[in-house]
Amino acid sequence: MTRTVSRDDPRVLLESPATIYDAIPPYPPRSEREAEFYALRDGEMLVNLGPQHPSTHGVLRVVLKIDGEQVVDLDPVLGYLHRGIEKLAENADYHQAICYTDPLEYVSSLFNELAPVMAFEKLVEIEVPRRAEYIRILSCELLRIASHGLFTGWLALDLGGYAPILYGFIERDEIVEMLAALTGQRMLFNYMRIGGVNGDLNHEFMSRLGEWMSRAAREIAANQTLLNENEIFVRRTRGLGVIDRETALRLCLTGPALRATGVPYDIRRAHPYSVYPELEFDIPTRDEGDSYARYLLRLDEVKQSLRIIDQCLEQMPDGPCMAKIPRLIRPRPGRAFAAIESPRGQYACYAISDGTDQPFRFRIHDPSFVNLQSVGVLVPGNLIADTMAIMASLDPIMGGVDK
Amino acid sequence: MSVVARSWGHLTPAGKVVVPLLGIVLALGLVAFLGIVTGILPAIGDTVVLTGRRNVGIVRFLVAATAALLASVPIAFINIYLEMKLLAWIALRRGPNRVGPFGTLQSVAHGFKVLAKEDFTPTGADRAVFTIAPVVTFLSVVLAFMVVPFAPGIVGVDMNIAVLFFFAIGGLTVVGLLAGGWASFNKYSLLGGLRSAAQIISYEIPLTLSVVGVVMLAGTMSLHGIVEAQAGHFWNWFVFQQPLGFLVFFLAGTAEGNRTPFDLTEADSEIVAGFATEYSGMRYGFFYFAEYVNLFILSAVTAILFFGGWSAPVEIHQLAAWLGVAVPSFAIDPSQLGIGLLFLLALGPALGTVLCAIPVALLRTDWSLRRALAVGFVLFNVVAGGLVIAWAYLASEVVAGLFWFLGKTFFFVFVFVWMRATLPRVRIDQLMGFAWKWLLPASLFNIFATAAAIVLVNR
Amino acid sequence: MDTRLARRLEARFGARLLGPARGHLDETEIRIGPGDVAEVLRALHDEPEFGFRVLADLAGVDTGEVMQVVYHLWAEPTVTRDWLRVIVDGLSRDDPRCPSVTFLWKGAEWPEREAYDMFGIVFEGNRDLRRIYMPPDYTSFPLRKDFYLADDAARSAAEGVRHLEQMATPPEATPPVATRRSKVR
Repeated sequence: MTRTVSRDDPRVLLESPATIYDAIPPYPPRSEREAEFYALRDGEMLVNLGPQHPSTHGVLRVVLKIDGEQVVDLDPVLGYLHRGIEKLAENADYHQAICYTDPLEYVSSLFNELAPVMAFEKLVEIEVPRRAEYIRILSCELLRIASHGLFTGWLALDLGGYAPILYGFIERDEIVEMLAALTGQRMLFNYMRIGGVNGDLNHEFMSRLGEWMSRAAREIAANQTLLNENEIFVRRTRGLGVIDRETALRLCLTGPALRATGVPYDIRRAHPYSVYPELEFDIPTRDEGDSYARYLLRLDEVKQSLRIIDQCLEQMPDGPCMAKIPRLIRPRPGRAFAAIESPRGQYACYAISDGTDQPFRFRIHDPSFVNLQSVGVLVPGNLIADTMAIMASLDPIMGGVDK
Repeated sequence: MSVVARSWGHLTPAGKVVVPLLGIVLALGLVAFLGIVTGILPAIGDTVVLTGRRNVGIVRFLVAATAALLASVPIAFINIYLEMKLLAWIALRRGPNRVGPFGTLQSVAHGFKVLAKEDFTPTGADRAVFTIAPVVTFLSVVLAFMVVPFAPGIVGVDMNIAVLFFFAIGGLTVVGLLAGGWASFNKYSLLGGLRSAAQIISYEIPLTLSVVGVVMLAGTMSLHGIVEAQAGHFWNWFVFQQPLGFLVFFLAGTAEGNRTPFDLTEADSEIVAGFATEYSGMRYGFFYFAEYVNLFILSAVTAILFFGGWSAPVEIHQLAAWLGVAVPSFAIDPSQLGIGLLFLLALGPALGTVLCAIPVALLRTDWSLRRALAVGFVLFNVVAGGLVIAWAYLASEVVAGLFWFLGKTFFFVFVFVWMRATLPRVRIDQLMGFAWKWLLPASLFNIFATAAAIVLVNR
Repeated sequence: MDTRLARRLEARFGARLLGPARGHLDETEIRIGPGDVAEVLRALHDEPEFGFRVLADLAGVDTGEVMQVVYHLWAEPTVTRDWLRVIVDGLSRDDPRCPSVTFLWKGAEWPEREAYDMFGIVFEGNRDLRRIYMPPDYTSFPLRKDFYLADDAARSAAEGVRHLEQMATPPEATPPVATRRSKVR
């Protein structure tokens, strides 16, 4: 095997720490774009937004090139939360690899597990019991509501509104407690298994769920009125960060950000998986493509999720919640790709097996990652304050972006 | 030397305090004795008193400034506590509940924390300006606080141009904010400082113009005079004659005090903390204090200009006269009671406790007598306290004035906190547009309408 | 596997495909050489017959012998109900180069940066090809099969390990990479 030589310049090694007033990196530009970005014209200055900043939703650093209050250009710098879970998963067996994915998008962990599990099931070619499929969809849709509730709060918080985040957390807490009764964990559930789920529905979960469902629609609607008709909120978000269909597709946007431009691309209908073909629900879309549309779209999705949960509970079949699978899984060599619709968009897993008990390649496609990259198109030309509104409306979770 | 050191070592901690104090007292006594004997001290005293008498204005000003400085601290503490608690309740939380009863001492704890923190100056900062900026902001707020009349006679300095003074000095805060933002050597601070300059100077104009109507109606610029012009029943309050003026004043005041939804200078989700990003310790504490004292002053001035200041909504004596009932005078002189006062003070609590304990003991027969007495004592205190307050309210104009003034002021403090809890922040361009396109024309229209009305009515 | 789609693909691209279209469950797979990437993907994206408008995923793969770039594409269900997987096969491990697809999907920029960061695959035409996750002074490519994790590297010769990073394969380290490599194609 030959020696791998990097294209990177070894002189890049930081010999002297950057002075505090130097936002320009202390090494020669590595790409055309970097050279262009860090060449400042008259009147422009660079501001580091993050990695410690109240409204970057984690450790994201965005270098803003500003002219007064106006953002001329920006350069997101990722990697502060990079854990290399793809490499770790390649050194773990198939069961272990699932739990590495939990902390990716930590506000919707069940979705993170579902995609790899589905990919592995494709590799192993096993049939999942129908009850398990229904339980998966039920718990995932619950978590979707929690995630969207939190999104609303984050968006409001980034606009300076203080109360909605706490109301969002109240809503989320009830759901998370419910799921804790089901899975044993509040945040990183580790509930999905190859061939089913870790445990059947239990009494506590069902009683909590029943109690919550009796008032959920009313309470969620009440919480949403906090912002929906707030004049300041509407003026801050409407017509902001507008993107049209074609550009959105070219930018590989997914999820609510894409559907807010009018493209009905929702994996649950576009490439149905699990039991979604048997369930009745709509894919809400909007045509405006601005921050306000992205916000309203999520509110509509919450209503659809409630419908799905109702139907899941109604149609829940009896039977086992776990297929019979061996302890050690050695799939035949092959490739499998599975995508699901997470609250932020298409979340996909691409797994390659080489016949051993460890995945040969384990790739996670994260919607936050591709959505976040569109800030480079959406933000320039807006004010600093709008940078937050646009970024929050895309709802990136840095755990997922940085993998 | 070693003897002194050894003796010092033998002292208890209390002794280490008492012994130096004794020494100081002895030295001072000696100086006083010598001074009186030689006649130097009386001469100095006479000179001081004479100088004070000649410059009574300056002395009053110094006293008033000190009083305002001292009063601003508890007021800031109360406001901070109120804000924490109200924000928590609106967000369905509990709020501070550990330090003191119901967490009332939480803001004092915050104050001590701020005092104890490291006072950090960033590299590259302009040290002199960085140090003086919070002082400028705090002092300008405290100086503005000086002209606020609390009740008849309770005012730092009763100026005949108090309104003008208030706006002039209140506008100085921006100097501190801008200087702090510039001197921090931080881009976020700079943005915050520039924002505050743009915002506060823009809003100063509608804020000042909105009060012109009130001044025209009252015919005076003294806050005392303005309150007196609104005396009587609540329909005499200027808010009913100047609704537009009130609206403009309140909105512009919100921006002037950097309160949500106009808190762009320290928008935490945008520019971290604006001008205060690099500040820590007591320097940050000064900004923090200034903000909350400012909140109180804004509420107080709103109450004074538009809601009758210390005057009650309904004038009791007028109402009584209208109803044909005579209101008895409660202004009793305790010295007239003579020996009765002694008996009242000695026996009143005991008798009251027993009287209050009897129904408790009768109602809760399962309680022990001692427990009933304890509850009776608490009840007596509540009743007696209430009676004293009621008496004070009826007997003293000042107490009644303070009651209504603080009630109105804290109502507006509540409104400010309420707005902070519910509203998102506006954007900088919307903010400036609002000031120049809506508030300024509205306040100008208000002036012309008021002037026309005065001319028409007086004709 | 969608056989109708597979036949259409074979008819359209013919000799450009390395081997016949294959597939499994709901995936159809074609392989192309790095020289044909721009042309094939443009045809898949633009031609109404295909209309694969959505780039669902872009991944790099190191099989141990060659490098691959894998695209997953989505089209309206009227075209196909499968995922279309396009594998760009046969990139050399020493100097993997592949044309960028940012001219079609601007959003492929970051996934390509990620593939470059993790595998060292150079996407020609990407304006912003620099490391995305790893620090700028990092010199190796972590997801390559000859990059060992710390516990593996500790068993190897002492040279080459620097901040969990290594420039070349330690000769003594022989975890089952050699055996694992052969079965993946």
